[in-house]
Amino acid sequence: MTGLPAAVPHRVRGRRVAVDGPLRLAAGGRETAVAVQFLRECVGRGLDAAWTWAADDAGPPYDLRVLRHLPPPAERAGEPGELTAWRTGYVYGALYHRRGPGFVTVLDRRDAGTAARLTLDHPDLLAAFDRLGEPTPLDALDAVHQEAVGLLAAERLALVTDGWAVALPPRIRSWPVPCTGI
Amino acid sequence: MRVQLVTMPWHPIDLPSLQVGLLHRLVRRARPADEVTEFHGSLRWAEFLLERSAGRLRPGDYVSVGSDSIFHGLGDWVFSGALYDDPDWGTARLRDYAAARDVFIDTALDMRPYAADFIAACATEVLATRPDVVGFTTTFMQNVSSLALARELKRRRPELTVVLGGSNCDGPMGHALHRNHRFVDHVVRGEAEYALPALLRHLDEGTPPVDVPGLCWWDGELSRANTETRRTVAPADIPSPDYDDWQAALEASPVLEYVHPKLVVEGARGCWWGEKHHCTFCGLNGSSMAFRAKPGQRLWEEIDRLVRRHRLLDVVTVDNIIDMAYFRDFLPRVVESGWDLRLHYEVKSNLTRDQLRLLGESGTVHIQPGIESLGSRVLDLMDKGVTGARNIRTLRECENHALTCSWNLLYGFPGESAEDYDPVIDQIPALVHLQPPSGAHRIQLERFSPHFTDPGLGFGKRRPAEMYQHVYDLPEDELADLVYLFDSEDAGIAGRAERRLKEAVAQWRAGHPHSRLLFEEDGEDLLVHDRRHGRPHTTHRLTGWAAAALRRLEEGRTESALHRLLADDGHVVSAAELGEWVRHTFRLGLLFRDGPTYVSLPTWDAPVRMPDGAAVAG
Ligand code: B12
Ligand code: SF4
Repeated sequence: MTGLPAAVPHRVRGRRVAVDGPLRLAAGGRETAVAVQFLRECVGRGLDAAWTWAADDAGPPYDLRVLRHLPPPAERAGEPGELTAWRTGYVYGALYHRRGPGFVTVLDRRDAGTAARLTLDHPDLLAAFDRLGEPTPLDALDAVHQEAVGLLAAERLALVTDGWAVALPPRIRSWPVPCTGI
Repeated sequence: MRVQLVTMPWHPIDLPSLQVGLLHRLVRRARPADEVTEFHGSLRWAEFLLERSAGRLRPGDYVSVGSDSIFHGLGDWVFSGALYDDPDWGTARLRDYAAARDVFIDTALDMRPYAADFIAACATEVLATRPDVVGFTTTFMQNVSSLALARELKRRRPELTVVLGGSNCDGPMGHALHRNHRFVDHVVRGEAEYALPALLRHLDEGTPPVDVPGLCWWDGELSRANTETRRTVAPADIPSPDYDDWQAALEASPVLEYVHPKLVVEGARGCWWGEKHHCTFCGLNGSSMAFRAKPGQRLWEEIDRLVRRHRLLDVVTVDNIIDMAYFRDFLPRVVESGWDLRLHYEVKSNLTRDQLRLLGESGTVHIQPGIESLGSRVLDLMDKGVTGARNIRTLRECENHALTCSWNLLYGFPGESAEDYDPVIDQIPALVHLQPPSGAHRIQLERFSPHFTDPGLGFGKRRPAEMYQHVYDLPEDELADLVYLFDSEDAGIAGRAERRLKEAVAQWRAGHPHSRLLFEEDGEDLLVHDRRHGRPHTTHRLTGWAAAALRRLEEGRTESALHRLLADDGHVVSAAELGEWVRHTFRLGLLFRDGPTYVSLPTWDAPVRMPDGAAVAG
């Protein structure tokens, strides 16, 4: 039992996860939010995900660099340059969060050469962040939480596409070695 | 009274000073009417360098001079020019020293010109609070920067009282620091909890501090050193630190964006192992080896308070060794909290698998288990109380529980020989999937260690380490009392064995990132996937008693003990057959051999590995 979301069909062997079908990260909306959640949870558990980019999908309706901390898709001839850049720029743990009493800390190193530390402690922000652990339609949120999601998206801690939102930083459940490397 | 507590360079800039935080509480508790302030000179220095060099000398440079070059005294040398009023003081000697040993000194040379201005600026800032007493804490390379500032303070305000304390002041070192520096009024040797309030009382009342144990003080022009006490501070009397001023200083500092701040806590003092068997090379616990621990509940309450207050989840403990009771009354509390803490702890290498699992679950993922060697005879020589086989098990379990294990391979013990090392060196290629040591290092002769106190152990000739020649302008006999590290004739292995060891460790480090040796269960069978550097990638399938045998060897057994265990489990195998299998499996590099004991090497899991030096900005 790995506890990975069942919404994305997959197989696990050791620390490797093979995703059965292509993931539609460019589709936007629910489908993209679900795929992001799945990859995020793989990272949180220290699992390596092998998956493919849906071949006929064009570029996504958002800046793909927000996903730099998630395992990149398998290489494919003629792939868009953004995907190649993702693969070469990928580092484990480039974005993650940790939980403390009444706060969450986030470390963001998605932009090479920078390390931004953030602490989320406002109750509305925290509540919204928690909600977005699961893919969430914006219209299911009240105005306060919608505003909080806007703030999280502005900090690139949530991905919002086509009325669906999902949190980006995984919670690190197993530390790498050396644990100070992230 | 107004008391100012000072921590000077090269205190690590990502950590609060436990000493300052603790003394702050101590003074406030003992003397509620006093005003206590703090000066974080270490942080100031990092800021000063950043600003004056227009961003060229960064916090990363601070670390390379202040922490990485402790054994060359570069950080102290940077401030010697300010202490001796001569910007070139010691430079020629440092250059000779560096040339002879191939030490990189450019960064330190770059910093030196800023030191005198910095000390002047510190003096202005410290005096602005109009303190009556300034207390410096000194460990590592904090001596010279502290002395330089103390001297400048006394020059500007002779009526001020300067007090020095910290582990650089233990024993004869404290007296030498005192008698050679007239501008240091008092040196507190040993723990502060009882001594400092007593000293402050004398200062208030203007009485001579004749009854403060361990204290150094001036009787006219005579430096007096009171006898040190054998009485140790009870854990209940050890204050919990106050880091509010540190947090305020850090948050206002441009250095903040370069560092990853962590909390520092103290659970215990002394060493329960060293009380019985002092490891021969170990110079820790200069003031007392007696082990004393706060109850786990109390340590947890302190961490709980600090985490809530400072919103930091990284915690460094300063204990020399974890209290074994913490596996019952501290670590389970950490697990229960559900917080994503990351703790650093020094432990002993003979922990069980369950104990190591608990460390991992509690977020105590950075451990220092004092491995020191993989050869049982060398471990015996140092009185370490563990075997090579045991150390291998610890390294293997660190993979299983994703624990980061910091360790060094030490050599140079009197009485060791190449024959003690050859069997270990030959096996290093099979260990490449386990975390390598940071390097193979010849042991240093440290004050307070058995090697130091008993010249009969093999280090008869000794003199203050050469690096102090470019740090202090003092005669050798004074240095002999003042310093912590000594040069001595080399003992133990040299030449070919030393070269082979260093080469093997270098290969281990190079091959480690892409090496794995993993178990996988396949029904009744056991698979071993060998993906180690320097070997063809293969998968071995073990069946029946062989699978059972390899699992039994996870705990480390002799061949005959293994045979008995297998028989008890109902496996039918002859001793000869088993012996053949053991030799074969050993040749495949699936077993480590320590004398008659065999330990299996595959791991059940492999953590995500980060490249060396991937750490957060700095
Ligand atoms: C925790 C620890 C660390 C931690 C944290 C260090 C920190 N700066 O906070 C880490 C892991 C980072 C570390 C790193 C290193 N460490 Co270290 N470390 C220790 C350890 C185990 C405990 C220190 C401690 O905090 N004790 C608890 C405090 C409360 O005790 P205390 O400082 O003695 O303070 C008491 C008294 O001295 C007195 N006091 C202190 N200050 C003052 C001030 C005044 C005014 C008064 C009155 C009294 C007073 O009162 C206090 C309470 O009773 C010691 C060994 C030891 N047992 O002391 C080694 C030790 C200090 N480290 C040592 C070394 C060599 C290193 C490293 C170089 C290791 C390496 N090779 O990389 C690095 C250097 C890092 C750096 N640049 O600072 C040496 C220092 C030798 C020396 N004298 O120069 C020691 C002594 C161990 C050893 N023998 O090797 N270390
Ligand atoms: S090396 Fe560690 S275990 Fe040995 S005496 Fe020193 S502190 Fe204790």
